Amino acid sequence: MSATTTAPEAVDERTNALRKLLNRRYRFIDRKFDIVFWVTAAFVVAAAADITKLLFAGDWDFWTDWKDRQWWPMVTPFAVIIIPSALQYIQWLAWRMPTGAVYTALCMGVASWIGRIAQWDWFGGFPIVFVWPVTIIAAAVWLDWVLLKTKSFVLTSLIGGFGFALILWFVNYVILAPYLQPVDWMGLPLTVSDVQGIEYVRGQTPEYLRMIEHGSLRTFLGETQYVSLAFGATLAVAGYWLGQFIGRMLAIWPIGRFIKRF
Amino acid sequence: MTRNVVRKAAALLAAAVLIVLALPAAPAGAHGETAQESFLRMGTIAFWDVKYTESKVAQGQELTISGTAKILETWPDQLAEPKLGFIGVVAPGPVVVIKTRTINGQPAPAAIEVEKGGVYHFEMTLAGRRVGHWHVHPIFGIHGAGSLLGPGQYVDVSASPGGFANDITLVNGKTENLENLGIGNLTVWTIIWFAVGLVWLLYWIVPKPTVTRLPVTSQIPLNTDGGAYGLITKKDHRAMNIVMALTLFLVVGGMVYQANAYPVKMPQQVLRFAPEAAVMDATFVTMDPKDASYDVDSGTVHLTVAVTNTGSTPAAVEAFTTSTLTFDLAETAGPGTVQVSPSPVIAPGKTVTLVLSMTDPVWHKERLMPVGESRMQITGVVRTKDAAGHENFTTVQSFVKPSRIA
Repeated sequence: MSATTTAPEAVDERTNALRKLLNRRYRFIDRKFDIVFWVTAAFVVAAAADITKLLFAGDWDFWTDWKDRQWWPMVTPFAVIIIPSALQYIQWLAWRMPTGAVYTALCMGVASWIGRIAQWDWFGGFPIVFVWPVTIIAAAVWLDWVLLKTKSFVLTSLIGGFGFALILWFVNYVILAPYLQPVDWMGLPLTVSDVQGIEYVRGQTPEYLRMIEHGSLRTFLGETQYVSLAFGATLAVAGYWLGQFIGRMLAIWPIGRFIKRF
Repeated sequence: MTRNVVRKAAALLAAAVLIVLALPAAPAGAHGETAQESFLRMGTIAFWDVKYTESKVAQGQELTISGTAKILETWPDQLAEPKLGFIGVVAPGPVVVIKTRTINGQPAPAAIEVEKGGVYHFEMTLAGRRVGHWHVHPIFGIHGAGSLLGPGQYVDVSASPGGFANDITLVNGKTENLENLGIGNLTVWTIIWFAVGLVWLLYWIVPKPTVTRLPVTSQIPLNTDGGAYGLITKKDHRAMNIVMALTLFLVVGGMVYQANAYPVKMPQQVLRFAPEAAVMDATFVTMDPKDASYDVDSGTVHLTVAVTNTGSTPAAVEAFTTSTLTFDLAETAGPGTVQVSPSPVIAPGKTVTLVLSMTDPVWHKERLMPVGESRMQITGVVRTKDAAGHENFTTVQSFVKPSRIA
């Protein structure tokens, strides 16, 4: 019997074996493991994602008057794509679930909101409408969907990373819009967010520390926003691979050293 | 044996932690204004004539902080050159809100361009916001160097029957409360996106166990979805396509919504400017500091200065200001006073050597004498007044010799 005639049977056998393996019931490891995993991992993932965000994009995420059209779209996508990327790799590799980014986005969203409400609003006294965090859920849905469709981390980093940055901006711009309305403050034209920054005392954050668009001779036809979005999207691709490094080298590789492969 | 010792140590540690956590924390009543090195506090910015119009306000009721700050000519080399500054308020968070701010008479929403020797008259209208007993200071930040605190005062904010509202009028004429402006938009969109995310996640994690997938995924290439084995099915693809389409619909819908709901928008503004020079009287005295000493035990500072009256009328020393403290002229020694010998009055055209003496425990209490610091130096502003009522504020600086170092 030649190899060409035996190959289909071999593939079918292997397929059947893997299908059986997928539906196998284990005596001690059942859905309780899933519940324990998804719940306990949520704390670690939320902390990792929120801390990474605050580390790279802290003030841009804290204050509406920092959420500008130049720096915010550049810094934030990079900061918030890192951990979703790592989780995406882990969950895709282990379970073939396109859920890593959305799972991280939800965990981080809950953690961020608890932090803003408990620390910044109740304890610090800032109105929540001044200190709301970005939402990355829609962008994470895109990222997971691109991975599901392409099954490629390279394509996901390129297509997903670019789309991630764009969707992140559009979604959060909708929430930011009321704070970009013009106000007359002592006869000067300012935005609502500027007035929030002036009126709500941040003693150790002088205005000159606010890193937002100041204008530049290199600004192209005033289209700062689109240049920033493009650059932010490129940075998001870099951030995606930083996350991949974390997922591959700091999470999966050490585990593989100690757990026997199937 | 060892285990018992470890257990006892752990129990003791746990008890200690519990006690520390249970004890009420002493409220922090100040902002570390004495923490910075004294020669830097004295040699950088001097505040004078700082006044608070009220010490008790109800929520929404206003008070004004006004005063003058001077960036001294003695600004030290080791700090960044003062080019960009910001005058604001420091308090335990937004317990008050700043409703207006003028510097040298001009509205100042943001940082200002500053320079050595610059004098800045500031006035800020605050409104009480959070009920409580709060320590409030003016603050002058210098980009690259840090912030210096002005004289602080406690402000009591009492409850108003209606609570606190912070109304502003938009350019379109609508009046909004800054405390909750846009809260509906924020809440609705946050809920929508959490719902979308939950739909996506629950679709996968509720019906699909993780453990049974690992033995399969470990045997197939990474760039496959395992459709042949049932890992990801066509139904899964279809469901996710629907969620993705819904997401994109919501993204586009959101942009259309905001364009209609908030049609007039603009980017954040950075309205920085160089304030007009403060109106100051013409110079009629010059000063040449000779030396200074500090008697640690009595808390007395002696500052010797050669003063020349270049004006046409007699001039008199009125006060000495350093950092946030002002010592007013008085005949007898006491806290907050300065004695001038042989006489505070300088005849026109004359140069006299004066000794300014200040006995006050505040030097020690405020950590304002740099005994044991890396630069034992005193800096301040001498205020003089001539017969016509004109005033000069002259910066003097001298090394200071303490009676003992320890």
